Amino acid sequence: MIRILDPTLGGGSGSTAAMPRAPRPTALSGVTVGLLANGKSNGMALLDRIWLRLRERHGVADVVRVAKTNASAPVSDEDAELLAKRCGIVVTAIGD
Amino acid sequence: MTTRPGFDAVDPWSAIEQCYERGWTDGLPVVPPTEALVDAMLGAGPWKADHVLLHEPVRGRAVTAEKAAINAVMAGCRPEYFPVVGAALEAIGDPEFMLHGPATSTGGSALMVIVNGPIAARLGLNAKTNLFGPGVRANATIGRVLRLVLLNCLDCRPGVLDKSTQGWAGKYSLCFAEDETASPWEPLHVWRGLPTGSSAVTVYAAESGHNVLSHGTSDPERLLTGFADVMASLGSLSPGRSVIVFAPEHAAHLKRAGWGRRRTAEWLYTHAWRSLADLKRGGKVEAAFYDNPSLVDWLYRDRPHGTSIPLTAAMDAERVEPTDESVRVHRGLGPDDILLAVGGGEAGGHSAFFPSWSRGRSVPFVTKEVSS
Repeated sequence: MIRILDPTLGGGSGSTAAMPRAPRPTALSGVTVGLLANGKSNGMALLDRIWLRLRERHGVADVVRVAKTNASAPVSDEDAELLAKRCGIVVTAIGD
Repeated sequence: MTTRPGFDAVDPWSAIEQCYERGWTDGLPVVPPTEALVDAMLGAGPWKADHVLLHEPVRGRAVTAEKAAINAVMAGCRPEYFPVVGAALEAIGDPEFMLHGPATSTGGSALMVIVNGPIAARLGLNAKTNLFGPGVRANATIGRVLRLVLLNCLDCRPGVLDKSTQGWAGKYSLCFAEDETASPWEPLHVWRGLPTGSSAVTVYAAESGHNVLSHGTSDPERLLTGFADVMASLGSLSPGRSVIVFAPEHAAHLKRAGWGRRRTAEWLYTHAWRSLADLKRGGKVEAAFYDNPSLVDWLYRDRPHGTSIPLTAAMDAERVEPTDESVRVHRGLGPDDILLAVGGGEAGGHSAFFPSWSRGRSVPFVTKEVSS
């Protein structure tokens, strides 16, 4: 037999598989919504529509808008902290 | 003894087929990465197995030297290629390169690797005839490793995280050496700030190349007119970067005329432009551009000194104003956005222009020294 090595990250070290899911909110009424756009054209426009729908249908409250300065870059630590601190849920989208 | 992750195969042929079944290939057969081959690959570089060569920050993926070595074996590399492979992975993992975009975007770019310095000849990298095409192991396999790492380690699979609208053949592999002997200039990596005698890779996210053919002139300005025209084509025009690889015949014309890198890049930047009116007529100006100060600055960058950008209220993405005819919109933001290299066969007036990925600024050129 020949041992063939796995070229993938395979859920082991270095992969994102260990990242736990955030707890799901049980209700949206009065919750502050974070909108994280990728910074390309129309991303925030799409997210704003979603926020309006969430407000109509589920009674969400305030909104915090964050647009990345570059769609290829990760969200900055400051913005991630802001969203975590102020928002009950965050919706993200790729606009283009 | 701990068993390393993987599988057991009865023979190489079944190993190749199982690699296909597991989705571990780019569509071409891979060399089965046995422990002995992987250890030989790893041993040819200066890195320990768990050293992180590439960290992708958007999704927090870390590619170790061991994983890189496995993919290098699969790509068909010889162990002595591994220092170049590692440098190329470090280069695309540079935070400035922002790999997430070119790895996943609809633009479908290839990862271009230009190799300079003595290591290129030692590895037999092709800088001459058919340098972008098939036939040479080092070119074909070093570039292929980057794609296999994207597929296998970053999950950039077509339709999953690789959303290339069309992609192109350079995504299999796009690695070549600069022909330093045919170049009128200092080697590319020396121009980029590394010491003479060192070896280096320069990476770039490239859309498919345009052949720039010119056989009828040796005059630098007439010659470069064709290059500037291709660079300014509406299909490619953007505030992004450019790579030009001059064929030796074209490079010789520039050499005879005494044109240096700087003068050549400045001439190309100055002449690679279209009027704002042309951009609007060709649907290249989007309404959303006017919400983006850097794109507005690009469109009006060439305005006469001291004049202000028109008021937002007067802007319209589709309406051509009489003044738009005289607004010149250049490719890129300046001569530094144009990278010049030399390569190709001795015969033929065929050079190449590679537009950057993305309709925006794209990602910068990154040069890394190859560890010996």
